[in-house]
Amino acid sequence: MIDILSGYTFLIVAFGTVILAFASGVIGTVSVIKGQSLIGDAIGHATFPGIVIAFMLVGIRDTFSLALGALILGIVAFFIIQLITEQSKITLDSALALVLSSFFGLGMALMSFVQGNPNFDGTQGLSDYIFGQAAYMLRSDVYLIIAASILSLLIFALFYQQIKIYIFDPIYSRSIGISNPLMNFMILAITITLIAVGLKAVGAILIVNLLIAPAVIGQLWSNRFFHVLLIAGTTGAAAAFIGTYISTAGDDIATGPAIILVLSAFVVLSLIFSRKGLLRRSIQKRKIGERT
Amino acid sequence: MTPLITVKDLNVAYQEKPALWHVNMSIQENSRTAIVGPNGAGKSTLIKSIMKLIRPVSGKIEIEGRDARHALKRVAYVPQKGEVNWDFPATVLDVVLMGRYVHKGWIKRPNRKDESIALSALETMKMEAFKNRQISELSGGQKQRVFIARAIAQDADIYIMDEPLQGIDITTEKLIIGIMKQLQQEGKTFIVVHHHLDTVEEYFDHVVILNKTVIAEGTIGSAWRKENINRAYYEMSGSHD
Repeated sequence: MIDILSGYTFLIVAFGTVILAFASGVIGTVSVIKGQSLIGDAIGHATFPGIVIAFMLVGIRDTFSLALGALILGIVAFFIIQLITEQSKITLDSALALVLSSFFGLGMALMSFVQGNPNFDGTQGLSDYIFGQAAYMLRSDVYLIIAASILSLLIFALFYQQIKIYIFDPIYSRSIGISNPLMNFMILAITITLIAVGLKAVGAILIVNLLIAPAVIGQLWSNRFFHVLLIAGTTGAAAAFIGTYISTAGDDIATGPAIILVLSAFVVLSLIFSRKGLLRRSIQKRKIGERT
Repeated sequence: MTPLITVKDLNVAYQEKPALWHVNMSIQENSRTAIVGPNGAGKSTLIKSIMKLIRPVSGKIEIEGRDARHALKRVAYVPQKGEVNWDFPATVLDVVLMGRYVHKGWIKRPNRKDESIALSALETMKMEAFKNRQISELSGGQKQRVFIARAIAQDADIYIMDEPLQGIDITTEKLIIGIMKQLQQEGKTFIVVHHHLDTVEEYFDHVVILNKTVIAEGTIGSAWRKENINRAYYEMSGSHD
Protein backbone atom coordinates (compact mmCIF):
# COMPACT_ATOMS: atom_id res chain seq x y z
CA MET A 1 0.00 0.00 0.00
CA ILE A 2 2.80 2.37 0.89
CA ASP A 3 4.42 1.41 -2.38
CA ILE A 4 1.49 2.67 -4.36
CA LEU A 5 0.98 5.83 -2.35
CA SER A 6 4.58 6.93 -2.78
CA GLY A 7 4.86 5.67 -6.34
CA TYR A 8 5.59 8.46 -8.79
CA THR A 9 2.99 7.27 -11.28
CA PHE A 10 0.26 7.10 -8.68
CA LEU A 11 1.08 10.53 -7.33
CA ILE A 12 0.99 12.26 -10.68
CA VAL A 13 -2.18 10.45 -11.76
CA ALA A 14 -3.87 11.17 -8.43
CA PHE A 15 -2.89 14.83 -8.67
CA GLY A 16 -4.57 14.97 -12.07
CA THR A 17 -7.84 13.36 -10.96
CA VAL A 18 -7.91 15.37 -7.73
CA ILE A 19 -7.59 18.76 -9.40
CA LEU A 20 -10.05 17.71 -12.12
CA ALA A 21 -12.57 16.70 -9.46
CA PHE A 22 -12.06 19.94 -7.54
CA ALA A 23 -12.66 22.09 -10.63
CA SER A 24 -15.63 19.92 -11.70
CA GLY A 25 -17.15 20.16 -8.21
CA VAL A 26 -16.95 23.96 -8.29
CA ILE A 27 -18.27 24.49 -11.80
CA GLY A 28 -20.80 21.66 -11.44
CA THR A 29 -22.33 23.51 -8.48
CA VAL A 30 -23.20 26.37 -10.80
CA SER A 31 -24.97 24.00 -13.24
CA VAL A 32 -26.84 22.24 -10.45
CA ILE A 33 -28.11 25.50 -8.91
CA LYS A 34 -29.13 26.69 -12.38
CA GLY A 35 -31.06 23.44 -12.77
CA GLN A 36 -28.98 22.30 -15.74
CA SER A 37 -27.24 19.21 -14.39
CA LEU A 38 -28.57 16.90 -17.11
CA ILE A 39 -27.04 19.05 -19.84
CA GLY A 40 -23.66 17.95 -18.44
CA ASP A 41 -24.77 14.33 -18.70
CA ALA A 42 -25.81 14.68 -22.33
CA ILE A 43 -22.60 16.47 -23.23
CA GLY A 44 -20.52 13.89 -21.36
CA HIS A 45 -21.98 11.03 -23.40
CA ALA A 46 -21.86 13.06 -26.60
CA THR A 47 -18.11 13.61 -26.37
CA PHE A 48 -17.36 9.90 -26.81
CA PRO A 49 -17.79 9.75 -30.61
CA GLY A 50 -15.47 12.78 -30.72
CA ILE A 51 -12.73 10.62 -29.22
CA VAL A 52 -13.24 7.85 -31.79
CA ILE A 53 -13.52 10.23 -34.75
CA ALA A 54 -10.35 12.05 -33.70
CA PHE A 55 -8.58 8.70 -33.39
CA MET A 56 -9.76 7.67 -36.87
CA LEU A 57 -8.43 10.91 -38.32
CA VAL A 58 -5.09 11.01 -36.52
CA GLY A 59 -4.44 7.26 -36.35
CA ILE A 60 -2.95 7.30 -32.85
CA ARG A 61 -4.33 8.03 -29.38
CA ASP A 62 -2.77 11.46 -29.13
CA THR A 63 -3.86 13.34 -25.99
CA PHE A 64 -4.56 16.71 -27.58
CA SER A 65 -6.26 15.50 -30.76
CA LEU A 66 -8.59 13.22 -28.79
CA ALA A 67 -9.47 15.94 -26.28
CA LEU A 68 -10.08 18.34 -29.16
CA GLY A 69 -12.37 15.80 -30.83
CA ALA A 70 -14.30 15.41 -27.58
CA LEU A 71 -14.54 19.17 -27.15
CA ILE A 72 -15.90 19.72 -30.67
CA LEU A 73 -18.53 16.99 -30.38
CA GLY A 74 -19.53 18.36 -26.95
CA ILE A 75 -20.13 21.78 -28.51
CA VAL A 76 -22.00 20.26 -31.48
CA ALA A 77 -24.22 18.29 -29.08
CA PHE A 78 -25.02 21.42 -27.11
CA PHE A 79 -26.03 23.35 -30.21
CA ILE A 80 -28.19 20.49 -31.42
CA ILE A 81 -29.94 20.40 -28.03
CA GLN A 82 -30.56 24.13 -28.30
CA LEU A 83 -31.76 23.86 -31.87
CA ILE A 84 -34.21 21.08 -30.99
CA THR A 85 -35.70 22.91 -28.00
CA GLU A 86 -35.95 26.26 -29.79
CA GLN A 87 -37.22 25.08 -33.15
CA SER A 88 -39.59 22.30 -32.14
CA LYS A 89 -42.05 21.48 -29.39
CA ILE A 90 -39.76 18.78 -27.99
CA THR A 91 -39.03 19.52 -24.33
CA LEU A 92 -35.54 19.87 -22.92
CA ASP A 93 -35.49 16.50 -21.14
CA SER A 94 -36.52 14.64 -24.30
CA ALA A 95 -33.97 16.55 -26.35
CA LEU A 96 -31.26 15.68 -23.82
CA ALA A 97 -32.18 12.00 -23.84
CA LEU A 98 -32.25 11.94 -27.65
CA VAL A 99 -28.88 13.60 -28.07
CA LEU A 100 -27.26 11.63 -25.25
CA SER A 101 -28.23 8.21 -26.60
CA SER A 102 -27.77 8.89 -30.30
CA PHE A 103 -24.33 10.46 -29.89
CA PHE A 104 -23.19 7.71 -27.55
CA GLY A 105 -24.61 5.11 -29.94
CA LEU A 106 -22.65 6.71 -32.76
CA GLY A 107 -19.49 6.47 -30.65
CA MET A 108 -20.07 2.77 -29.90
CA ALA A 109 -20.79 1.97 -33.55
CA LEU A 110 -17.68 3.79 -34.73
CA MET A 111 -15.61 2.04 -32.07
CA SER A 112 -16.74 -1.44 -33.15
CA PHE A 113 -16.02 -0.50 -36.75
CA VAL A 114 -12.53 0.65 -35.89
CA GLN A 115 -11.79 -2.32 -33.67
CA GLY A 116 -12.74 -4.76 -36.41
CA ASN A 117 -10.63 -2.93 -38.96
CA PRO A 118 -7.02 -4.08 -39.47
CA ASN A 119 -6.03 -0.60 -40.70
CA PHE A 120 -6.25 0.79 -37.18
CA ASP A 121 -3.72 0.02 -34.47
CA GLY A 122 -4.10 0.41 -30.72
CA THR A 123 -7.89 0.40 -30.76
CA GLN A 124 -8.11 -1.41 -27.40
CA GLY A 125 -7.40 1.79 -25.46
CA LEU A 126 -10.51 3.48 -26.86
CA SER A 127 -12.81 1.71 -24.41
CA ASP A 128 -10.87 3.34 -21.56
CA TYR A 129 -12.72 6.52 -22.47
CA ILE A 130 -16.08 4.95 -21.66
CA PHE A 131 -15.44 4.16 -18.00
CA GLY A 132 -12.11 5.85 -17.42
CA GLN A 133 -8.82 4.17 -16.68
CA ALA A 134 -6.58 6.55 -14.80
CA ALA A 135 -3.79 3.99 -14.44
CA TYR A 136 -3.22 4.05 -18.21
CA MET A 137 -3.12 7.81 -18.40
CA LEU A 138 -0.11 9.22 -20.20
CA ARG A 139 1.86 11.98 -18.64
CA SER A 140 0.52 14.30 -21.35
CA ASP A 141 -3.05 13.34 -20.35
CA VAL A 142 -2.35 14.43 -16.80
CA TYR A 143 -0.66 17.66 -17.84
CA LEU A 144 -3.63 18.57 -20.00
CA ILE A 145 -6.03 17.89 -17.12
CA ILE A 146 -3.97 20.04 -14.76
CA ALA A 147 -3.68 22.92 -17.23
CA ALA A 148 -7.39 22.87 -18.10
CA SER A 149 -8.50 22.61 -14.47
CA ILE A 150 -6.30 25.46 -13.26
CA LEU A 151 -7.38 27.65 -16.18
CA SER A 152 -11.05 26.87 -15.47
CA LEU A 153 -10.70 27.74 -11.80
CA LEU A 154 -8.87 30.98 -12.64
CA ILE A 155 -11.57 32.12 -15.05
CA PHE A 156 -14.23 31.20 -12.50
CA ALA A 157 -12.46 33.16 -9.76
CA LEU A 158 -12.08 36.17 -12.04
CA PHE A 159 -15.81 36.30 -12.82
CA TYR A 160 -16.98 35.04 -9.43
CA GLN A 161 -19.01 38.13 -8.45
CA GLN A 162 -20.73 38.36 -11.82
CA ILE A 163 -21.51 34.64 -12.00
CA LYS A 164 -22.96 34.75 -8.49
CA ILE A 165 -25.34 37.62 -9.27
CA TYR A 166 -26.22 36.09 -12.65
CA ILE A 167 -27.29 32.72 -11.23
CA PHE A 168 -29.31 34.22 -8.39
CA ASP A 169 -31.05 37.02 -10.23
CA PRO A 170 -30.49 37.13 -14.01
CA ILE A 171 -32.70 40.16 -14.63
CA TYR A 172 -31.00 42.22 -11.94
CA SER A 173 -27.60 41.16 -13.28
CA ARG A 174 -28.53 42.46 -16.72
CA SER A 175 -29.92 45.65 -15.23
CA ILE A 176 -26.52 46.46 -13.74
CA GLY A 177 -24.67 45.75 -16.97
CA ILE A 178 -23.48 42.16 -16.54
CA SER A 179 -23.55 40.24 -19.82
CA ASN A 180 -25.71 37.19 -19.17
CA PRO A 181 -24.87 35.51 -22.50
CA LEU A 182 -21.16 35.85 -21.69
CA MET A 183 -21.66 34.32 -18.23
CA ASN A 184 -23.68 31.47 -19.69
CA PHE A 185 -21.11 30.85 -22.42
CA MET A 186 -18.27 30.82 -19.90
CA ILE A 187 -19.96 28.30 -17.62
CA LEU A 188 -20.74 26.09 -20.57
CA ALA A 189 -17.27 26.37 -22.12
CA ILE A 190 -15.62 25.44 -18.82
CA THR A 191 -18.01 22.51 -18.33
CA ILE A 192 -17.36 21.08 -21.81
CA THR A 193 -13.60 21.58 -21.45
CA LEU A 194 -13.46 19.77 -18.11
CA ILE A 195 -15.52 16.92 -19.54
CA ALA A 196 -13.31 16.66 -22.63
CA VAL A 197 -10.03 16.49 -20.71
CA GLY A 198 -11.42 14.27 -17.97
CA LEU A 199 -12.77 11.47 -20.18
CA LYS A 200 -9.65 9.30 -19.95
CA ALA A 201 -9.68 9.52 -16.17
CA VAL A 202 -13.38 9.11 -15.38
CA GLY A 203 -15.08 8.07 -18.63
CA ALA A 204 -17.90 9.46 -20.73
CA ILE A 205 -20.71 7.71 -18.87
CA LEU A 206 -19.83 8.69 -15.33
CA ILE A 207 -18.16 12.08 -15.68
CA VAL A 208 -21.45 13.89 -15.01
CA ASN A 209 -21.36 12.53 -11.49
CA LEU A 210 -18.20 14.54 -10.85
CA LEU A 211 -20.21 17.65 -11.72
CA ILE A 212 -23.40 16.84 -9.81
CA ALA A 213 -22.62 14.77 -6.70
CA PRO A 214 -20.19 17.27 -5.07
CA ALA A 215 -22.72 20.08 -5.62
CA VAL A 216 -25.45 18.04 -3.95
CA ILE A 217 -23.16 17.38 -0.99
CA GLY A 218 -22.18 21.05 -0.74
CA GLN A 219 -25.79 22.20 -0.72
CA LEU A 220 -26.65 19.73 2.03
CA TRP A 221 -23.96 21.12 4.32
CA SER A 222 -24.13 24.86 3.74
CA ASN A 223 -26.42 27.75 2.89
CA ARG A 224 -23.70 30.05 1.63
CA PHE A 225 -22.65 29.98 -2.00
CA PHE A 226 -18.92 30.26 -1.34
CA HIS A 227 -18.96 27.50 1.28
CA VAL A 228 -21.03 25.27 -1.00
CA LEU A 229 -18.40 25.71 -3.71
CA LEU A 230 -15.56 24.89 -1.30
CA ILE A 231 -17.29 21.82 0.13
CA ALA A 232 -18.18 20.61 -3.38
CA GLY A 233 -14.61 21.03 -4.63
CA THR A 234 -13.07 19.41 -1.57
CA THR A 235 -15.35 16.37 -1.40
CA GLY A 236 -14.92 15.83 -5.13
CA ALA A 237 -11.15 15.99 -4.69
CA ALA A 238 -11.18 13.61 -1.71
CA ALA A 239 -13.31 11.09 -3.57
CA ALA A 240 -11.02 11.35 -6.59
CA PHE A 241 -7.97 10.61 -4.46
CA ILE A 242 -9.52 7.59 -2.74
CA GLY A 243 -11.07 6.31 -5.97
CA THR A 244 -7.81 6.62 -7.89
CA TYR A 245 -6.07 4.71 -5.12
CA ILE A 246 -8.63 1.89 -5.17
CA SER A 247 -8.41 1.74 -8.95
CA THR A 248 -4.61 1.63 -8.96
CA ALA A 249 -4.33 -0.87 -6.12
CA GLY A 250 -7.05 -3.22 -7.34
CA ASP A 251 -6.71 -5.28 -10.49
CA ASP A 252 -8.49 -3.75 -13.43
CA ILE A 253 -10.97 -1.66 -11.48
CA ALA A 254 -11.88 1.25 -13.72
CA THR A 255 -11.17 4.63 -12.13
CA GLY A 256 -14.50 6.25 -13.01
CA PRO A 257 -16.66 3.74 -11.14
CA ALA A 258 -14.24 3.70 -8.19
CA ILE A 259 -14.39 7.51 -7.78
CA ILE A 260 -18.14 7.60 -8.30
CA LEU A 261 -18.73 4.89 -5.67
CA VAL A 262 -16.75 6.87 -3.12
CA LEU A 263 -18.67 10.04 -4.07
CA SER A 264 -21.97 8.19 -3.78
CA ALA A 265 -21.00 7.04 -0.30
CA PHE A 266 -20.32 10.70 0.59
CA VAL A 267 -23.74 11.66 -0.80
CA VAL A 268 -25.50 9.00 1.28
CA LEU A 269 -23.64 10.04 4.43
CA SER A 270 -24.52 13.69 3.77
CA LEU A 271 -28.17 12.87 3.14
CA ILE A 272 -28.28 11.28 6.58
CA PHE A 273 -25.95 13.36 8.74
CA SER A 274 -25.76 16.86 7.22
CA ARG A 275 -27.51 19.91 8.69
CA LYS A 276 -30.31 19.46 6.18
CA GLY A 277 -30.10 15.65 6.41
CA LEU A 278 -32.69 13.09 7.44
CA LEU A 279 -31.33 12.55 10.94
CA ARG A 280 -31.35 16.22 11.88
CA ARG A 281 -34.79 16.68 10.37
CA SER A 282 -36.33 13.75 12.23
CA ILE A 283 -34.83 14.98 15.51
CA GLN A 284 -36.32 18.42 14.87
CA LYS A 285 -39.68 16.89 14.05
CA ARG A 286 -39.64 14.92 17.29
CA LYS A 287 -38.77 18.05 19.26
CA ILE A 288 -41.68 19.90 17.70
CA GLY A 289 -43.89 16.90 18.42
CA GLU A 290 -42.87 16.90 22.10
CA ARG A 291 -43.59 20.59 22.42
CA THR A 292 -47.11 20.37 21.07
CA MET B 1 -39.19 71.35 -16.34
CA THR B 2 -37.36 68.79 -18.46
CA PRO B 3 -38.32 65.24 -17.53
CA LEU B 4 -35.82 62.73 -16.09
CA ILE B 5 -36.80 59.91 -18.44
CA THR B 6 -38.33 60.34 -21.87
CA VAL B 7 -39.79 57.50 -23.92
CA LYS B 8 -40.21 58.35 -27.59
CA ASP B 9 -42.42 56.29 -29.88
CA LEU B 10 -41.50 52.95 -28.30
CA ASN B 11 -42.69 49.81 -30.07
CA VAL B 12 -42.03 46.37 -28.62
CA ALA B 13 -43.08 42.96 -29.92
CA TYR B 14 -42.74 39.42 -28.59
CA GLN B 15 -42.49 36.87 -31.40
CA GLU B 16 -44.16 39.27 -33.78
CA LYS B 17 -47.04 39.94 -31.35
CA PRO B 18 -47.05 43.61 -30.44
CA ALA B 19 -46.65 44.21 -26.70
CA LEU B 20 -46.34 48.00 -26.72
CA TRP B 21 -47.08 50.41 -29.50
CA HIS B 22 -46.39 54.11 -29.98
CA VAL B 23 -45.55 54.65 -26.34
CA ASN B 24 -44.71 58.30 -25.68
CA MET B 25 -44.32 59.30 -22.07
CA SER B 26 -42.06 60.89 -19.55
CA ILE B 27 -41.11 60.43 -15.93
CA GLN B 28 -40.58 63.53 -13.83
CA GLU B 29 -37.51 63.79 -11.66
CA ASN B 30 -38.12 63.23 -7.96
CA SER B 31 -41.56 61.78 -8.57
CA ARG B 32 -43.33 58.69 -7.28
CA THR B 33 -44.80 57.44 -10.53
CA ALA B 34 -47.17 54.48 -10.64
CA ILE B 35 -47.54 52.45 -13.81
CA VAL B 36 -51.01 50.93 -13.87
CA GLY B 37 -53.02 48.99 -16.39
CA PRO B 38 -54.84 45.68 -16.78
CA ASN B 39 -53.08 42.30 -17.03
CA GLY B 40 -51.10 42.02 -20.24
CA ALA B 41 -51.02 45.79 -20.71
CA GLY B 42 -47.24 45.74 -21.07
CA LYS B 43 -46.32 47.27 -17.70
CA SER B 44 -43.34 44.95 -17.05
CA THR B 45 -42.34 45.24 -20.69
CA LEU B 46 -42.26 49.02 -20.35
CA ILE B 47 -40.00 49.10 -17.30
CA LYS B 48 -37.73 46.43 -18.79
CA SER B 49 -37.46 48.55 -21.92
CA ILE B 50 -36.50 51.57 -19.84
CA MET B 51 -33.71 49.47 -18.31
CA LYS B 52 -32.62 48.31 -21.78
CA LEU B 53 -33.38 44.68 -20.91
CA ILE B 54 -35.58 44.34 -23.98
CA ARG B 55 -34.65 45.30 -27.49
CA PRO B 56 -37.51 47.33 -28.93
CA VAL B 57 -38.65 47.19 -32.54
CA SER B 58 -38.23 50.94 -32.63
CA GLY B 59 -38.19 53.94 -30.36
CA LYS B 60 -35.89 55.79 -28.03
CA ILE B 61 -35.42 55.95 -24.29
CA GLU B 62 -33.47 58.84 -22.89
CA ILE B 63 -32.38 59.59 -19.35
CA GLU B 64 -31.60 63.28 -18.99
CA GLY B 65 -31.40 63.64 -22.75
CA ARG B 66 -28.88 60.84 -23.32
CA ASP B 67 -29.47 57.25 -24.35
CA ALA B 68 -30.56 55.25 -21.28
CA ARG B 69 -27.61 52.91 -21.77
CA HIS B 70 -25.29 55.55 -20.27
CA ALA B 71 -27.23 55.85 -17.05
CA LEU B 72 -27.93 52.25 -16.07
CA LYS B 73 -25.74 52.49 -12.98
CA ARG B 74 -28.08 55.14 -11.62
CA VAL B 75 -31.01 52.75 -11.87
CA ALA B 76 -31.78 50.20 -9.14
CA TYR B 77 -34.16 47.43 -10.13
CA VAL B 78 -36.39 45.60 -7.65
CA PRO B 79 -37.52 42.37 -9.32
CA GLN B 80 -40.75 40.47 -9.00
CA LYS B 81 -40.30 37.71 -6.46
CA GLY B 82 -40.77 34.98 -9.05
CA GLU B 83 -37.87 36.17 -11.17
CA VAL B 84 -35.03 35.00 -8.96
CA ASN B 85 -33.58 31.53 -8.36
CA TRP B 86 -34.70 30.53 -4.86
CA ASP B 87 -32.48 27.44 -4.89
CA PHE B 88 -29.47 29.70 -4.72
CA PRO B 89 -27.63 29.33 -1.42
CA ALA B 90 -27.33 32.87 -0.08
CA THR B 91 -27.95 34.75 3.13
CA VAL B 92 -29.89 38.01 3.35
CA LEU B 93 -26.62 39.95 3.70
CA ASP B 94 -25.16 38.25 0.59
CA VAL B 95 -28.11 39.44 -1.47
CA VAL B 96 -27.91 43.02 -0.21
CA LEU B 97 -24.15 43.06 -0.88
CA MET B 98 -24.90 42.32 -4.55
CA GLY B 99 -26.14 45.91 -4.70
CA ARG B 100 -22.58 47.10 -4.11
CA TYR B 101 -21.31 45.40 -7.27
CA VAL B 102 -21.83 48.47 -9.47
CA HIS B 103 -19.42 50.42 -7.26
CA LYS B 104 -16.77 47.71 -7.13
CA GLY B 105 -15.78 47.16 -10.69
CA TRP B 106 -14.76 43.84 -12.01
CA ILE B 107 -12.76 41.73 -9.60
CA LYS B 108 -12.86 43.60 -6.31
CA ARG B 109 -14.76 41.89 -3.54
CA PRO B 110 -17.02 43.82 -1.19
CA ASN B 111 -15.07 45.22 1.77
CA ARG B 112 -15.98 46.34 5.26
CA LYS B 113 -17.34 49.65 4.03
CA ASP B 114 -19.68 47.87 1.62
CA GLU B 115 -20.77 45.61 4.43
CA SER B 116 -21.64 48.53 6.68
CA ILE B 117 -23.60 50.17 3.84
CA ALA B 118 -25.47 46.89 3.31
CA LEU B 119 -26.19 46.55 7.04
CA SER B 120 -27.55 50.06 7.29
CA ALA B 121 -29.78 49.38 4.26
CA LEU B 122 -31.09 46.32 6.12
CA GLU B 123 -31.67 48.48 9.16
CA THR B 124 -33.70 50.92 7.08
CA MET B 125 -35.89 48.02 5.98
CA LYS B 126 -36.04 46.65 9.56
CA MET B 127 -34.37 43.42 8.50
CA GLU B 128 -31.02 43.59 10.31
CA ALA B 129 -32.00 40.74 12.64
CA PHE B 130 -32.32 38.48 9.58
CA LYS B 131 -28.94 39.20 8.03
CA ASN B 132 -27.66 35.63 8.34
CA ARG B 133 -30.95 34.00 7.40
CA GLN B 134 -31.15 31.89 4.25
CA ILE B 135 -33.02 34.02 1.69
CA SER B 136 -35.42 31.22 0.69
CA GLU B 137 -36.65 30.86 4.28
CA LEU B 138 -38.14 34.37 4.35
CA SER B 139 -41.79 35.31 3.94
CA GLY B 140 -42.97 37.19 0.86
CA GLY B 141 -42.89 40.56 2.59
CA GLN B 142 -39.43 39.92 4.05
CA LYS B 143 -38.07 38.93 0.63
CA GLN B 144 -39.40 42.18 -0.80
CA ARG B 145 -37.74 44.16 1.98
CA VAL B 146 -34.42 42.49 1.18
CA PHE B 147 -34.67 43.41 -2.49
CA ILE B 148 -35.42 47.02 -1.58
CA ALA B 149 -32.48 46.99 0.84
CA ARG B 150 -30.31 45.82 -2.07
CA ALA B 151 -31.56 48.75 -4.16
CA ILE B 152 -30.79 51.15 -1.29
CA ALA B 153 -27.28 49.65 -0.94
CA GLN B 154 -26.78 50.25 -4.65
CA ASP B 155 -27.19 53.95 -3.88
CA ALA B 156 -28.98 54.64 -7.15
CA ASP B 157 -31.18 57.65 -7.72
CA ILE B 158 -33.83 55.98 -9.87
CA TYR B 159 -35.74 53.04 -8.39
CA ILE B 160 -37.66 50.80 -10.75
CA MET B 161 -39.91 48.28 -9.01
CA ASP B 162 -42.07 45.56 -10.51
CA GLU B 163 -45.14 45.08 -8.31
CA PRO B 164 -43.32 45.46 -4.98
CA LEU B 165 -46.60 45.35 -3.04
CA GLN B 166 -47.81 42.08 -4.55
CA GLY B 167 -48.43 39.33 -1.99
CA ILE B 168 -46.94 41.06 1.05
CA ASP B 169 -48.23 41.86 4.53
CA ILE B 170 -49.74 45.25 5.38
CA THR B 171 -46.85 46.19 7.73
CA THR B 172 -44.34 45.74 4.91
CA GLU B 173 -46.59 47.68 2.54
CA LYS B 174 -46.72 50.66 4.92
CA LEU B 175 -42.96 50.40 5.50
CA ILE B 176 -42.18 50.38 1.78
CA ILE B 177 -44.40 53.39 1.11
CA GLY B 178 -42.85 55.23 4.08
CA ILE B 179 -39.32 54.54 2.79
CA MET B 180 -40.37 55.62 -0.68
CA LYS B 181 -41.62 58.98 0.61
CA GLN B 182 -38.52 59.42 2.75
CA LEU B 183 -36.15 58.68 -0.15
CA GLN B 184 -38.15 61.05 -2.35
CA GLN B 185 -37.27 63.80 0.15
CA GLU B 186 -33.62 62.91 -0.53
CA GLY B 187 -34.13 63.45 -4.26
CA LYS B 188 -34.80 59.93 -5.51
CA THR B 189 -37.26 59.00 -8.24
CA PHE B 190 -39.58 55.98 -8.15
CA ILE B 191 -41.17 54.11 -11.03
CA VAL B 192 -43.47 51.44 -9.67
CA VAL B 193 -45.68 48.91 -11.41
CA HIS B 194 -48.79 48.94 -9.26
CA HIS B 195 -51.87 46.75 -9.18
CA HIS B 196 -54.28 48.21 -6.66
CA LEU B 197 -56.29 51.05 -8.13
CA ASP B 198 -57.69 52.08 -4.75
CA THR B 199 -54.26 53.05 -3.35
CA VAL B 200 -52.83 54.90 -6.36
CA GLU B 201 -53.85 58.34 -5.06
CA GLU B 202 -52.55 57.67 -1.57
CA TYR B 203 -49.16 56.20 -2.56
CA PHE B 204 -48.13 58.10 -5.70
CA ASP B 205 -47.96 61.64 -7.06
CA HIS B 206 -47.70 60.75 -10.78
CA VAL B 207 -49.31 58.01 -12.83
CA VAL B 208 -48.99 56.42 -16.25
CA ILE B 209 -52.09 54.51 -17.33
CA LEU B 210 -51.11 51.89 -19.84
CA ASN B 211 -52.84 49.41 -22.08
CA LYS B 212 -50.38 48.53 -24.85
CA THR B 213 -50.11 52.25 -25.40
CA VAL B 214 -50.31 55.23 -23.04
CA ILE B 215 -53.92 56.06 -22.16
CA ALA B 216 -53.05 58.96 -19.86
CA GLU B 217 -50.05 60.28 -17.96
CA GLY B 218 -49.22 63.10 -15.62
CA THR B 219 -49.86 64.15 -12.05
CA ILE B 220 -52.49 62.30 -10.06
CA GLY B 221 -54.65 65.44 -10.21
CA SER B 222 -54.60 65.66 -13.99
CA ALA B 223 -54.41 62.05 -15.20
CA TRP B 224 -56.03 59.87 -12.55
CA ARG B 225 -59.60 60.31 -13.77
CA LYS B 226 -62.43 57.86 -14.02
CA GLU B 227 -62.75 58.18 -17.78
CA ASN B 228 -59.06 57.35 -18.29
CA ILE B 229 -59.26 54.34 -15.97
CA ASN B 230 -62.38 53.11 -17.74
CA ARG B 231 -60.74 53.47 -21.13
CA ALA B 232 -57.75 51.40 -20.01
CA TYR B 233 -59.60 48.71 -18.12
CA TYR B 234 -62.95 48.29 -19.82
CA GLU B 235 -63.19 49.79 -23.28
CA MET B 236 -59.85 48.54 -24.55
CA SER B 237 -59.64 45.16 -22.84
CA GLY B 238 -60.47 42.25 -25.06
CA SER B 239 -60.02 44.17 -28.27
CA HIS B 240 -56.36 43.15 -28.65
CA ASP B 241 -56.16 39.73 -26.98
